[in-house]
Amino acid sequence: MTVATILVLAMAMPSPTPIRDVVDRASPAVVKIYGAAAGREHGYGTGVLVSADGNVVTTLSILVNGRNIRVVASDGRRYDATLVRTDEKRQLALLHIDASNLPYLTPATTEAIRTGDTILAMTNCFKIADGDEPVSVSRGIISAKLPSLRAKRLAQEFEYTGPALVYDAITANPGSAGGPVLDLDGRFIGLVGKVVEATATNTRINYAIPGEQIAEFLGGKATEAAAPAPATTPAHSGQEPYVGIRLSELGYRHVSAFVERVRADSPAARAGIKQDDLVIAIDGKRVVDSTTYQQALVGLVPGQTVPFTIKRGEQVLNLPVTLGVQPE
Amino acid sequence: MNRTMVTPFVCAMLVAGAAYGSPQSPDRAKADAVRRAVGAISPSLVTIETIGGAQPVVNAGPMGVFEESFKLAEGPTTGVVLSDDGLILTSSFNFARSPSVITVTLPNGTRASAKLLGRDLIQRIALIKVDVGTLKAAAWAKRSDIIVGQYAVACGRGLGSPEPHVSLGIVSALARRNGHAIQTDAKLSPVNYGGPLVDLDGRVLGLIVPMAGAGGALAGAEWYDSGIGFAIYRDSIDRVMDRLLAGQTIEPGKIGVMLGDDTDDEIPLLDTILKGGVVIRYVAKQSPAGTAGLQVGDRILAIDGQPIGDVADLQRRLSDRAAGDVVKLTYKRRWKIDELRLTLARMEDICCWPTRNRPAEPKPGEEPPSTQPSGD
Repeated sequence: MTVATILVLAMAMPSPTPIRDVVDRASPAVVKIYGAAAGREHGYGTGVLVSADGNVVTTLSILVNGRNIRVVASDGRRYDATLVRTDEKRQLALLHIDASNLPYLTPATTEAIRTGDTILAMTNCFKIADGDEPVSVSRGIISAKLPSLRAKRLAQEFEYTGPALVYDAITANPGSAGGPVLDLDGRFIGLVGKVVEATATNTRINYAIPGEQIAEFLGGKATEAAAPAPATTPAHSGQEPYVGIRLSELGYRHVSAFVERVRADSPAARAGIKQDDLVIAIDGKRVVDSTTYQQALVGLVPGQTVPFTIKRGEQVLNLPVTLGVQPE
Repeated sequence: MNRTMVTPFVCAMLVAGAAYGSPQSPDRAKADAVRRAVGAISPSLVTIETIGGAQPVVNAGPMGVFEESFKLAEGPTTGVVLSDDGLILTSSFNFARSPSVITVTLPNGTRASAKLLGRDLIQRIALIKVDVGTLKAAAWAKRSDIIVGQYAVACGRGLGSPEPHVSLGIVSALARRNGHAIQTDAKLSPVNYGGPLVDLDGRVLGLIVPMAGAGGALAGAEWYDSGIGFAIYRDSIDRVMDRLLAGQTIEPGKIGVMLGDDTDDEIPLLDTILKGGVVIRYVAKQSPAGTAGLQVGDRILAIDGQPIGDVADLQRRLSDRAAGDVVKLTYKRRWKIDELRLTLARMEDICCWPTRNRPAEPKPGEEPPSTQPSGD
C-alpha cells in the first residue's frame, strides 16, 4: 500500500528539485581539458561545448598554450584540440575538436538572475573525475552580482574587470575554471573564472564570467568594440581636470589624502575645501592616498561637477566641486 | 488499520498541493525567502571603511608562527546597527590595522565618521559609534529559539557590491566556543566578518567573527569559506557591553605557566592517570603564576572548582577569560592540595621564562621554549 502511494506521488508531482534534470541535460556538453602546465599553473581544466561541430569555450590559461591539448568528452571519448582564438580582456579561449553532432550549451543572459537564486557549477576540480567519470557538481546561491570584478592573480592585477556573478559554491580550485554555471532552468549563465583573490578582501573569490560576455566572445565581437564608448565629453575634452589642491606628501607609500594647500580662487577653494581636510572619496570612488586620488580623477573632465567627500574633524561633508582647466 | 486509511488521504492532499497549490519548487521558494531575509536586515547593515593603519605584526607565540600568507586588505567591511542612536557592532578583525580614520556608510547612502569605542579580542567583536540618531537597530532572534539545521544567511558588505553579499547555510551547532558562538556552514570570510548571521525572518542569530587557530590579530582568516564558521550570540555580546561602552580593550587572560605533556617521559603516565590535572613545567617569573608562588612540578587540578582533565581542557576553560579576571586554581604540591586566587594578565605583560634545559632552575630573561605545548 505504502509503496503504491509513493509511486503515485512520484508520478503525479512535478519534479520537486529540478537539479537532477539540469545536471542530466548539461553534462553531455561539459568536457575535461588537459594541456600544458607551468609552475603553479595546473595542466587541466574544464570546458563547455558551444556548438554541434566541436567548438569548446574555456577560460584563458596556460593550458591552452600547449602543443598538445586534449579534450575528454562526457562519454570518455578523447579528442585532440586546437586553439582557435583567445580574448585577454574577457579571459576566455575558444578551442576546436574535430567532431560533429555533439551536444552543446548556449550562453544565456543574466539579467533575471538575482541574489539568492540557486546555481549549479560543473567542474573538473582537482581532476577528481577519472576517464569517463562525470565532472563534479557544486550547488550554491548567487551571493552578489558585481558590476566589475576587482581581483589580483599571482600578485598582479587580474585582467578581467568586467561584471561577475559571485556565489557561495566553492569553485576557486585548480581545474574548475572553464566549467559551466547553470541556473535551475538549466540555462548556461556563466563560466567559472580562474582562481583569483578579491582586492577588497585578499581572499579567494568564487565567481563566474556572465553569459553575455561569453556570447559576445563567441559572436566574434572584439572586446574593444564591445566596450562602451567614452562618456560624452564637454567642451574641454582631452584635458586633465584641475582641482587646485596639493595633498600632503611625506614620502611614504601610504599617506592619507590630507589637503596640504588649497590654491586661492581654485575649484577646490570655491567649493569650500580647506587645508587639513581629508579627502575620502571623489564621486563615490574611495580615496585612501595620493595614488587613489589621482585614479579617482581619471575620466573626469573640466566643467564637470562632482561631489568630493571630505572628513573635517569629526564631520563628513559632501562638497560639489566644479572641475576647472589647468592654469597656464 | 487506521494507518492504511490515512496514508492515501494524506498523499492525495500532497499531490493536490504540489500540482495546484504551490507551483514553485523548493529552491525558488528558498531564493525568495533568502531575499526577504536580506531585505529585512538591510536597513540595519552598514559599510565600514578605514583609512590609515598598518599591517599588524605577525605573532610568533608558543604555538608557532601563524599563517603568514594572509595579508589584510583595505576593502570595506560590515557592521550591524545595535541601537537607533548610533551604536554599531562589528568584528575587531576589521580594525586589526589600528586605522586612524573610520567612516561608516549608512543604509541611506550617507557617510558618517565613526569612533571606535571598545574591542573584545577574545570574542573578536568591536563596538563603534556614529553621531546619527536615526538608525534602525537590527532585530535579534531569541537564543532559545535557535535550532541546529535551521537556515542561516550570512550578510556582508566586504566586496563593496551595491547590495549585501549573501551566503546560505544552516546552523551546524549551538553553544560552541564555551557557549558563546553558533557554528554555521554558511561561507564566512572577510566579506562578512562583522556582519550578521540571520534567520529567514532577517533576525540576527549572531555576529559573524573569524575564529580558528591560535591567537594573533588575524587568526581565523585562514579558515574562511571552509564550511566551519562562527557567530557570537547576543547574550555573550551583552556580557561585555559595559566594558565596550567604557572604551576598554578586552584581551585574553593568561596565567604565565607552560604545562607538561602527558606523554612527557619525565612524568610517568601512571602518575597522570592516578592524580589527574596537568603539571606545570615552567613558570614565568613576572606573571600571575610567578607572583602567586606557583612552582614547577605543581599540578593544577581544577579551575574555579571545575576539575581539569588535560592541557586542552585547561586551555579551553581559560580561552574565554579576560586579562583582569580573577580565577581560583586548585593545585597539588607534593601531597598537599591547596587553592589560590590569581588575576589573569595579558600575554604581553608576562615575561622572564626559564630556559628549556634546566626547567627546575629557572633562568629569568629568556624567551619561552618554542616547542612547549601550551602558553597558558
